[in-house]
Amino acid sequence: MFSLSLRSIALPPAWRFILLPLTAWSAPVTEPVSFSRDVLPILSNNCFGCHGRDESHRKADLRLDTREGATSDDVRAVVPGKPEASELMKRILATDDDEIMPPPKSHKPPLTTEQAGVLRRWIAEGAVWGKHWAFEQPVRSPSAPKSGVIDHFVSAGLNKERLSFSPEAAKHTLIRRVSFDLTGLPPTVEETDEFLRDTTADAYGKVVQRLLASPHFGERMAMWWLDAARYADTDGFQGDDNRTNWPWRDWVVGAFNANMRFDQFTIEQFAGDLLPNATTEQKLATCFHRNHMTNGEGGRDPEESRVDYVIDRVNTVGTTWLGLTLGCTQCHSHKFDPISHADYYSLTAFFNSIDEDGKAGVAAKPYLAYRSSLTTRALADAEAVVAERAPAEARARSAAEVPFAAWLAARLAEVRGGFSAWRVLKASTLESSEGTLLTAEADGTVQAGGPNPKQDDYRFIATVPLPRLTGLKLEVLPHDAHTAGKFSRGQSGEFILTDIKVQVRRTGSSQLRDLTVNSAVADYSAPQKDERSYGDIKGVLDDDPRNGWTTKGAPATAPHTAIFALTEPLTLAPDEELVFELRQRSTEGDANIGRFRLSASDQRGEAVHGMRPAPLADLATAAVDDAAKIEPELRARLFGQFLEDHAPYQGPRDALDRAKRQLGEVKAAAGKLNVMVLAERAVPRDTFVLERGVWDKHGEQVPPGVPAAIAAWPEGEAKTRLGLARWVVSRENPLTARVLVNHLWQMLFGAGLVRTPEDFGLQGERPTHPELLDWLAVEFMESGWDVKHLLTLMVSSATYRQESAASAGLLARDPQNRLLARGPRFRLPSWMLRDAALHAAGLLNPVIGGPPVKPYQPEGVWEEMFMGRFRYEPSEGAAQYRRTLYAFWRRAIAPTFLFDSAQRRTCEVGVSRTNTPLQALTLLNDKTYLEASRALATAMLRFEGGPRQRLQLLARHVLSREASEPELTVLQRELSRALAYYRTHPDDAATFLRIGQHAPDGAVSLPDLAAHTVVASLALNLDEAITHE
Amino acid sequence: MSSLDITRRYFLGQCTGVSLGAMALSSLLGRAAGATTAGGEAIGLPGVPHVAPKAKRVIFLTQSGGPSQIELFDEKPGLMKWAGVELPDSVRQGQRVTTMTSNQKQLIKPAATKFARHGKSGATISEWLPHLARVADDVCFIKSMHTDEINHAPAMTKFLTGHQIAGRPSIGSWVSYGLGSTNRNLPDFLVLISKMQRPSDQPLYDHYWGSGFLPSRYQGVKLRNARDPVLYLRDPDGLPRELRRGMLDGLGELNQLRLDQTGDPEIATRIRQYEMAYRMQASVPELTDLRGEPDEVFNLYGSDSRRAGSYAANCILARRLVERGVRFIQLFHPDWDHHSRLTSWCSARCRDTDQPSAALVTDLKRRGLLDDTLVVWGGEFGRGVAGQGQWDSSEAGRDHHPRCFTMWLAGGGVKPGLTYGATDDFSYNVAENPVHVRDLHATIMHLLGIEHERLTYRFQGLDFRLTGVEKANVVRGILA
Repeated sequence: MFSLSLRSIALPPAWRFILLPLTAWSAPVTEPVSFSRDVLPILSNNCFGCHGRDESHRKADLRLDTREGATSDDVRAVVPGKPEASELMKRILATDDDEIMPPPKSHKPPLTTEQAGVLRRWIAEGAVWGKHWAFEQPVRSPSAPKSGVIDHFVSAGLNKERLSFSPEAAKHTLIRRVSFDLTGLPPTVEETDEFLRDTTADAYGKVVQRLLASPHFGERMAMWWLDAARYADTDGFQGDDNRTNWPWRDWVVGAFNANMRFDQFTIEQFAGDLLPNATTEQKLATCFHRNHMTNGEGGRDPEESRVDYVIDRVNTVGTTWLGLTLGCTQCHSHKFDPISHADYYSLTAFFNSIDEDGKAGVAAKPYLAYRSSLTTRALADAEAVVAERAPAEARARSAAEVPFAAWLAARLAEVRGGFSAWRVLKASTLESSEGTLLTAEADGTVQAGGPNPKQDDYRFIATVPLPRLTGLKLEVLPHDAHTAGKFSRGQSGEFILTDIKVQVRRTGSSQLRDLTVNSAVADYSAPQKDERSYGDIKGVLDDDPRNGWTTKGAPATAPHTAIFALTEPLTLAPDEELVFELRQRSTEGDANIGRFRLSASDQRGEAVHGMRPAPLADLATAAVDDAAKIEPELRARLFGQFLEDHAPYQGPRDALDRAKRQLGEVKAAAGKLNVMVLAERAVPRDTFVLERGVWDKHGEQVPPGVPAAIAAWPEGEAKTRLGLARWVVSRENPLTARVLVNHLWQMLFGAGLVRTPEDFGLQGERPTHPELLDWLAVEFMESGWDVKHLLTLMVSSATYRQESAASAGLLARDPQNRLLARGPRFRLPSWMLRDAALHAAGLLNPVIGGPPVKPYQPEGVWEEMFMGRFRYEPSEGAAQYRRTLYAFWRRAIAPTFLFDSAQRRTCEVGVSRTNTPLQALTLLNDKTYLEASRALATAMLRFEGGPRQRLQLLARHVLSREASEPELTVLQRELSRALAYYRTHPDDAATFLRIGQHAPDGAVSLPDLAAHTVVASLALNLDEAITHE
Repeated sequence: MSSLDITRRYFLGQCTGVSLGAMALSSLLGRAAGATTAGGEAIGLPGVPHVAPKAKRVIFLTQSGGPSQIELFDEKPGLMKWAGVELPDSVRQGQRVTTMTSNQKQLIKPAATKFARHGKSGATISEWLPHLARVADDVCFIKSMHTDEINHAPAMTKFLTGHQIAGRPSIGSWVSYGLGSTNRNLPDFLVLISKMQRPSDQPLYDHYWGSGFLPSRYQGVKLRNARDPVLYLRDPDGLPRELRRGMLDGLGELNQLRLDQTGDPEIATRIRQYEMAYRMQASVPELTDLRGEPDEVFNLYGSDSRRAGSYAANCILARRLVERGVRFIQLFHPDWDHHSRLTSWCSARCRDTDQPSAALVTDLKRRGLLDDTLVVWGGEFGRGVAGQGQWDSSEAGRDHHPRCFTMWLAGGGVKPGLTYGATDDFSYNVAENPVHVRDLHATIMHLLGIEHERLTYRFQGLDFRLTGVEKANVVRGILA
């Protein structure tokens, strides 16, 4: 074994590099073994699972995580100075399956010879114990220079590997990179040009200062913070009700823009309500700890939910500030990190006396009544849409008067002979699923005979002798053949219709098409005792057999009528037939309809939505000979009937309706809102250890407290949330500053100095540059937790400013860029892609704050998930083009146009970056990107210049640079191809350009615009366009 | 025929539609057209499968809400004499109920259905499942399933991810991660949800098919019953296929230039993913278009199968996906949560699902696909023996019950015609051969050739696996 490790040092350095993965920091043999760097990871990975802190899973009563345990006389696992006498060494080198550690059933491979060698040397050198690095206080390394510290430590690492920095990135790349990093937006063409022109030494510094001063800086930082805070606009879980916590989101944006000290930022979010003379804004800040999901599932004990919320808060503190996987200790003591089961519940005690009761929806107290000051623009924008559309609706209405007069005259003549809105249908086929014999009589009435099953579905198939279908009328008829002369042959003579289905079928086709019915009315419905019982006609529309229509208890036995209106009128093809299904599946059964008749209508509006005669029927009854003699009320109804079918009116009316609905929502948001916040209840709750983490399995009672192994409680602090916050950001806490500095690093470099940002514990990765991480952590604290200062240091470093291209050799040596011998290159987060497309296209509405908005999303995604309970209506007007930060976040189904985003269910601080065909489809076909493409194309065509200049304009907007000759050739070729197509297919051009809310620019040729739109879309899909280079 | 053959045959059938541009691009990338990896990257883990697989793919028929084992499978004739009597404490043993029945007496309600024995195996099946009864000898019933959770979301999360709190990878994601893809035109893991008119009480969260901490390319892709079966699949109207092809060729060339300049291998992957997207634009609509299926198939699956989006139509789609080599197909049928009115509510869900589920088994069998396709039917928990509401009225339903429930499996290396495990006289506690949800997971993995303890993923410093930290056992007794 020794000979092997000697051989490894005999290899030239480059070879050693290949043998050892870059995660491993093995000690050179000349240096003493470091416990925390070299030994602890091996013990932690291989031994602590069974021989660590967690007493419930401890084997052989041996613990190796403390010196006392490892060196105890019982086992003599470690005998300092004597590897040969140490049981640990015997076991890891054993060959017998019963002896070897880790045991085969753990599925852990035996230790490598290098690992065994490290343990051997460590024991031989005296088995010196130490702490895990992250639990030691960070200190500035004495070797750190006065300035350029980042580059100093990074280049030291590179020198060891005989590597050096890559050259500085091109200026256009640099401004693009830093603009995305600090504001989440690409630079404008003007900003890029100005930077390219500025040859002063401080040109880059000026850009950085401008970006940090931009209000978009706060938005960019907020997106990071909202993911960690699991912020969403709904509860999650079963009800997934809306909440109105968005003013807290705006507080976050404001805090970052004001460069609030990060310790203060922390304190206000933990305990703003407990600060002396707390301001409303400080109370608002505590919404951070209410952003967890809430569960209102029926049948769930609210106390169980409340315990979940408390636990979620502690886990979030662990992940976001401490970089510890505290969630592990919910059920048992941490197997690896020095946190016991009791420590965990002591932490929960700080959050256990919130004045909450585990409820969700509108009962999720405590609330802060809050009125946002950031709704002015949203109101103005929504009002502008209404104002713009109201005249169009009014014009369309009055313009309709003229054709209405002609229509009315024609109808007047037509209805002289009487009018019926309904045409009785004659079935071509009648089916019963359970055997009832259905017979059609000459007038279309259907009579049931033969067997009388308990439940049955009838299918009535007929052609419709009308040009179109708007509704159906079902008449249920009494008959002497039925029990007591009523409606069915069942014991009571009553009927229960549980559901209907309206479908169409093309002759000979195997497929049925469902039609949606949006209204059901009846002349009589039995009074219903609750939502889930029989009576109301509306129960036939929901596929639920526990409700449905019955007329039981009607004053007299007389025919009953129900009318169903289709959501959209249906024009039937000649070979299409209607399939009407009556489902009779009630609980008791024995209530199948005995006799019925079905009629169809082609009238829209009133005729199929109510029981009163259709306006035209009333007109027939009125029997007037002159339109002028029609009663004003009837005339108004007739005008309404006319407008229902008057296509030129439909568009303006629907558009105005939508605008009014959205204005109503914004007005509600501009009023007083309930924001979920923290507040203590009068009598604190006792806190207990929960055995195995189960909410009602109380173990020993615990006081509020923090894990002593991290840092001591600050002297004199009360054991409150406020005290906890101060402990989290105390100078003695070794974790918080490191963890947050690492977040910032990850934001800029795509990966942290610690690549497991959520885990700084023993099982997390060690920092790639430990001295740098520590220096930055100390700098962060000593600068007064100054976020902008830290970011300035990072983005100003040569390390950050390197170009991101990599040679094949470098890529092979360091595929993950752990050594930082090149700049970071990674796909931008999807929210930045949307913002960037809007920005590049000049569509972005840059307003800060306000109620959530709804960017385009494919139709039906909410409806599918909630079976129609929630509907997504994209925002109209300027609200459509707000930044993604403001997009409404429904927890059960995150915005569809985002990918690899945090789920906002629990705290997330890592990054996910995948590369899938679904992402390609989103960028190709999402309406936002298409509308942005069209806007870019419009700008190209308005630009006075040749095709080449226009393509360069596109490149400058999308890539912040000019295209090269080979690139221009390809773009020109695709443009020509698209032009050739659309100039010969102008109809396709018009169709393709129907994107989003606005009509295409009338001043440009549609085929040309369509072709340029295709090329602009190509540009927005370029790898370079979606990548942080 | 192996799944690979099926895929290859299927792909070759499609290949004529692929343009020269696509061919040129794939040869540019040094990859033969017709290779069976999706984007050249989802090729599974080295060493997986660990053992010879019996099943190559899974169709998981998820019945969301908790079907009543008492009404459907677990006949307890002895209950008649207990009708209306309070459940003995010796049986209940402190079992929690939900707050919906925690303040009412737990009075025993015998099954609302009649049972008969079916097939050579004599399986006990309720009158509400007449079609399943006809394939009884192809199916293996596990009557001794049990779980730990009593509310829907945590129980379903555990049922599908092994843990009650959202955030772990779902079983389909684990399988896709371990085994990789056998199809280059479709994702490995597809999800189909029945279209229902009624607002569901239990939304189907996308974490039920999420990839948790596994890379998101392993997450289930929902096939919607909409014009776009996959979100953003359809090109905008007025953009013809030939222009899309040209644009993607241009995009591929420009990305290739960038790849040459930067050396970033992500760009090569991106080029492949855009090509996969292009292929999916053809393969997905072809897949979801059932018009070419003969009438005989619709008759087999029942009349509901003619209605797009129905459970029955989704069962036909599941069979088509199997034919195209998709690895993991998960159907969801909601609304099995019969807290009241068993005779209308529970029976309605039986009507929706009975014929198509049985037809799927029959259809796979006659096509020779059942041998290496595992079909799994079941929900997140069972129902309690006590009536909810007035026990002897037709209003009565049943509350959730985690301590026992019934599932069935067919094909894919499972012993057909077997009833495994048993419950006590009250269908309350497992009496024989308990199968925890994690044992089921271990068994499904085993049938796919995966040793569940060896398929791990390191996250937050821990090696996670589907079956979690507690001991999980492959249920040897049901293996063929």
